[in-house]
This record gives sequence, structure tokens and C-alpha cells, in this order.
Amino acid sequence: MTFSELTCFRTIRVLVLPLAVAALAAPVLAAPRKPLADSELLERLPLRAGDGSARELAALRTGMLAAPGVPGPAALLAQAYFDLAMARGDPRYVGYAEAVIARFGEPQAASLRVVRGLLRQYRHDFGGALDDFAAALALDPGFAAAHAWRAAIFLVQADYAAAQQECATLQGLGRATLFGGCSGLVQAYGGHLDAGYRTLQQALATTDDPGNRLWLLTRLGEVAAWRGQPALAESHYRAALALGRDDGYLLAAWGDFLLDQNRPAEVLVALAGWESADNLLLRLAEAAAALRRPEAARLAQALGERFAAAGLRGDTTHRAEEARYRLRLRGDAGAALRLAAENYRVQREPRDAHVLFEAALAAGDAAAAQPASDWLAASGFEDARLRRLGQELMLAGPRSGIPGRQSPERRAASPGGAGR
Amino acid sequence: MLRRALCLLLLLLALPALAHKASDSYLVLDVQGREVTGQWDIALRDIDFALGLDADGDGGITWGEVRARHAEIAAWALGRLALRRGGECRLAVADHLIDSHSDGSYAVLRLAGSCPSAGGELALDYSLLFELDALHRGLLRLGLDGSTQTAVLSPQRAEQRFAAGEVSRLAQFGQYLVEGIWHIWIGFDHILFLLSLLLPAVLVHEARRWRGVAHFRQALTEVLWVVTAFTVAHSITLSLAALGLVALPSRLVESAIAASVVLAAANNLKPLVERRRWMVAFGFGLIHGFGFASVLVELGLPRETLVLSLLGFNLGVETGQLAIVTAFLPLTYALRGTGFYRRVVFVGGSLATLAIALLWFVERAFDLKLISG
Repeated sequence: MTFSELTCFRTIRVLVLPLAVAALAAPVLAAPRKPLADSELLERLPLRAGDGSARELAALRTGMLAAPGVPGPAALLAQAYFDLAMARGDPRYVGYAEAVIARFGEPQAASLRVVRGLLRQYRHDFGGALDDFAAALALDPGFAAAHAWRAAIFLVQADYAAAQQECATLQGLGRATLFGGCSGLVQAYGGHLDAGYRTLQQALATTDDPGNRLWLLTRLGEVAAWRGQPALAESHYRAALALGRDDGYLLAAWGDFLLDQNRPAEVLVALAGWESADNLLLRLAEAAAALRRPEAARLAQALGERFAAAGLRGDTTHRAEEARYRLRLRGDAGAALRLAAENYRVQREPRDAHVLFEAALAAGDAAAAQPASDWLAASGFEDARLRRLGQELMLAGPRSGIPGRQSPERRAASPGGAGR
Repeated sequence: MLRRALCLLLLLLALPALAHKASDSYLVLDVQGREVTGQWDIALRDIDFALGLDADGDGGITWGEVRARHAEIAAWALGRLALRRGGECRLAVADHLIDSHSDGSYAVLRLAGSCPSAGGELALDYSLLFELDALHRGLLRLGLDGSTQTAVLSPQRAEQRFAAGEVSRLAQFGQYLVEGIWHIWIGFDHILFLLSLLLPAVLVHEARRWRGVAHFRQALTEVLWVVTAFTVAHSITLSLAALGLVALPSRLVESAIAASVVLAAANNLKPLVERRRWMVAFGFGLIHGFGFASVLVELGLPRETLVLSLLGFNLGVETGQLAIVTAFLPLTYALRGTGFYRRVVFVGGSLATLAIALLWFVERAFDLKLISG
């Protein structure tokens, strides 16, 4: 299922940034009011009743309601909501998907267990998600997506042996593309960037599916950047963008790549109109700050309000982003380090290590980054920038450096890392 | 080309870009005894998902489209919120408004209602949107008999209980006690009045001359009489005024308090009343009670704990008073035989008090600003 017919939004995005910035500047309506005219437009819905994806969702919803208690239609609808959430960066659709699954209590069908696993991993309940995928595989051993997602979670947890096992199973199931993507990333994370790059390229050659190509091209871009080949990385990212599909992960990775390359002006263009998604607003705010744009303060302020709102709900899934926000936009190394360390207990991808190193350096507390230093030593991860950062931290030693002073200097040298 | 044109049209109609966030409703409730008031902000986008507000299917929600569905929205929302205090509370939507939050426009439901019981715990059962959006949360701020509590309402914690129990009553009592102490501490007119009456307590006036009392007991008895009379008197009027049984214009009260200080100080310089100063304390104490009451009215007395708060405030005033007396009496008793006490402290202090109180009186009675703000 695709939602790529939403390309209209891509056109709008480019044109909408100045409007959005103006809106952020406009005074907030402070008190409840009674509109004067019936014609006053209060809210624009994300989907119009008539447009393609709305029709598709409506049909799926009708299908689910017509067959209460039947897993198939419910799984399809929940998956559609989840895909839309990922494409748009809009968590309300995650909630809709969860409610569809919740109708089944403890779901017995493999399809429903897989979607619930997806939703759990979204909430960073990785243990629960692994259980759901395992249960789905017990019901349907050939469910390749469940293996692929288990591998993805093991990668996030830096358990490369377990991830490799899932990759091997995918190969046994004859899923060449998923296998290539899976094992290419295990190689790359585990200290073999060149081999990983080749494996990902081979996987790309096996598929015409735009969704799979977008994912593989994005990851190829990341691996090429880690190998120190920015021109190659850019060509992969551009190829992925040229597919014309909304994808939050791709845009975040592309934004980080541009920030790393000291090209913040292009971030403002690439992510224009995406400030509604928190993770992309972070990249926009960082770019605006680097350029000393007048809207920088407003963007940072808006981002701070988003984190505060999430905090009210007790939502902690954005700690890695919040750490970056605290460190790079607020210069609060202490809070950043606390968040980055908490995040690293749950997520251990290179970008998580990156923000932890950066925060530890700024706070002058190398000991706090020990888990990430251990990972770097054990995995042999080859990204030169991250290794430099790790070394810098080791030289600084535990509890050295001047808190809050190193961050801006360091930032000028290398403006950022990957992130979600 | 057509698609592009449609895109531009959509752009022109587009509202400002807003945050993408998970769905929250903001529920503010104030429960005072039986009475419930509150406000409930629910995103229009969420209401649309549940009820379908976009009647003309153009992707936009207008005030007209919302207004037409007010009754339905109220029934839908109130059907998913239950309050219990000694039984089911009746709730109604008193008004429908609109407000903006970071992720868009919200319907604002102004709530009013009543519960069967004025006391005891409050149970709240919330199920808005949970069947459609499992990540929806109700962010609750609850004022229960004057104490504020917050909670996040989720499918896992949809029903929650809030105690208005001993702790909050005790806290309320403590709060008013502190206010009482604070008011005596910053209320110079009350302190000066008391001191004017206490300064001669360690002296006796004989043959037109002042001399120190022979025994501490003598001074203590005098102080106890004065302080007790002042306390009883102002407690009476404080209660009467705080309960709304008697009301006097504040200008009159404040002027009379200033006058009481003038007279008390003058009596030290040219004694008219010597033996029965407690009667002076009682008479003017009645006036000072009205002064205390005006503070209490400004603080606002929670109806449910009216008597408790009044008692707390009054005890606070007495505690402050007692602290002043405890510090004052040993010192003055030790100094009573000295010329320094009789001339500088007693006469000089009374003169200074008289001067200040006269100024206060003029300011208050004639509504002028001379020295104080």
C-alpha cells in the first residue's frame, strides 16, 4: 500500500515555509473565544474526504467495521495508519492503529501480532515488540517482515549476533532484498563499512519496489557518509528523494547529512514545510541557528514547547532529539547528557553514541559516555568522525574540560551527526 | 497541470503549519464541595475523527460546521467522562467556545454541574477517544476543595480517585496559620497597638510618677489580661466579619485602628486609664478584628473548610502575638528600673508611636498619601 499520491504536499512544502514562519511569529490566541462568523475556517484536516489516501483509509475502515473480530482487515487498516504516521511524522495515526489492534485484546493472528510489534517498537518497548514478532513467527514461520523487524531491533540494541541470525533466516526464506539490507547493516554497524556498502548495493539491485529502494538508498547514503564519501552519499540521498515519496527517516537523515557537511541553508529548503514533525523541526531549528536566521529563536522555542507537551504526557521516545536540542540549541550540556545517557540505555545506534559523546564532551564527563565508548571499541565501527569524537573524549578523561564551553567550538568544527 | 492548480489552491487555503503531536485533551476541573465547574479542550481534529465534523467534505472545519453539532459534541464528550462524589455527579456543557493549541484549534466546553456529596473522595472515569486512538491522553488539572492535583488519564489509568482527605485539610489549616502569623508580623498598626498597651505593664503609676513593678508576676498578670482581652475581642469580630455576618467599610475600620493606636500611646503619656487597660484592649480589639477579617477576605476562604481556615488564621495571629510578647516581656522587665526604659523607651517610644499613628489616621481618614504607600 502506498500513500505516494500525496506528492501534492511536496509542492506545497517548498512554498509554505515563509507562511509557516510567519504563523509562528503571529501572536497566539490566548483565551477561548467565540468565532463571529459561521464561515470562519477553524481547522484544516490532514486528509480531505475526497483525496486518494482518505478514500483508501475509509474503505479499509469500512472493511474492518464490516468484519468485526476478523484479523485480516483490521491488520490492513492498522498497517495503513502506521505507514501514514511514518510518512507524515504524525503520531495521531499511531494512536489510531493502536486502537484498531486493541479491539482484539491479546491478538491471536500473526498479521495483528506483527502490527502490534511495530507499534511497540515505535514506543521503544523493544522487549514487547520482539515478543510479538516471535509470537507471529510461531504462528507463521514464513513471515519475513517479522524477521526483518526483529533484526532492526537487534541492530538498535547493538546485538549484532542476534541480528545476523535473523538475516540468515531471511536468506533461508529466499528474501534476497530483505536479507541484503539486513546483513549489509549488520556488517556496517559491526565494523565493516566497505563490505556492508557492497551488500546493500547488491540488495538494491534485486528490487524495483519503490519503498524498498527508498529504504536501501537512504541506508547507502548513511554508510557512504560514514566511509567519508560525501559526494557518493549525496547521490544516494538524491536518488532516494527522487522517488517522490514522503518518508520521515529519509528526510531526517538527509537533513543531518547536510548539517554535517556545513550546508545548513539547503536544510531549510529540503525540509521546508515539515516543521510539524518534531524530528524535522529539530533539523530546521539547528540549520536556522547555524545561519543565525531571525526565525532561529522561534523555531527553537516551538521545539521546546513540543518536548514540554510530550513531557506532560509522560512520553520519553524523543530523548535523543531532546538531547540534541538541549545541547546544540540551548547550550545546556548537563541536561543533554542526562537525556543522551537515558536514551543510550534503550537505543544504541551510531547516532545515539554520537549525541552521547558530544554531550559528554560538552559536560566534561567522559565517564557518562562509557557505554558508548565500550560499544565503539567492541564493534570496531569505522566512521572516522565518531571515532575522533570518542578519542577526544578519552583524551579529555573523566570529569575534565569546562562544562558548557566546548560545545559551541566543537560544533563549529563539525555541526552534527545523524539522528532520527 | 490540474493537480498543480489544485495544490496551489490548497496552499492558498492552508492554515499555518502546526505541530504534529499525539492527541491530548486538556481537562480543568474545579470541585468545591458539591459544585463542579470546569473547562474541557478537545481538538477539533479528534472530534472530527470521532463524529465527522466536515459536513461539506472540503477538508476544512468551519465554525458553522462545529456550531451545528454542539449538542452532539456535548453528549459525546460528557458520555465519556464520569465524576462521582457520594454518587454520580451531574455535568452539563454551559458554553461552547474555540481555542488554539500548538497542534490546531480546539473546541472548548465550559462545564458546570453538581455532586450528591460535598465531601469525601472524588472518582473520575475518563474514556474519551480511547476506542479510536489508544495514544490519546486526558491531561487533568483538578482543584478539589482548594487543593490542586494533576493527572494523566490513559486507557491503562482511565479511572482515578482523588482524596480530599486529612492531608489536604491539614495543609489548608497550616496555610492559614502561616498567613495569620505573617499578617501580625507585617501589620505594624496591630503591633504598635499591642506594644503601646504592654509598655506600661512593667511599670506602675504612683503619685504622678512611673516606677518599675516589684514582681515579675505583677507584670505577667497585666500582660495576660491585656493580651487575652485583645485576642477575645478581635476573634469575635474577625469571625463575625469573615462569616459575612457583619460588614464595615474598610476606610472606617482602618481609620479607627489608627485612632486606637493614637489613643493607646497618648494614654501612656497622659494616663486616663491606668488600672483597667484590658478593657481598652478589648474595646479596640473589636476594631482590629475587622482589620484582620479584610485580609482573610482577600485571601479567599474555601467554603468547605471555612471554620478550619478561620481557626487557622486566628491561631496564626495569636501565635505571632505570643512571639512578640515572649520576646518583649523579659526584656522590658529587666530594663524596668532604669531611667533609660522610663524616659527613652516608654516616653520616647510612646511619642514616636503617637506621631506615626496620627499620620496613619490622617492618611486613612482623609484618604491622603503622606508617608506610607
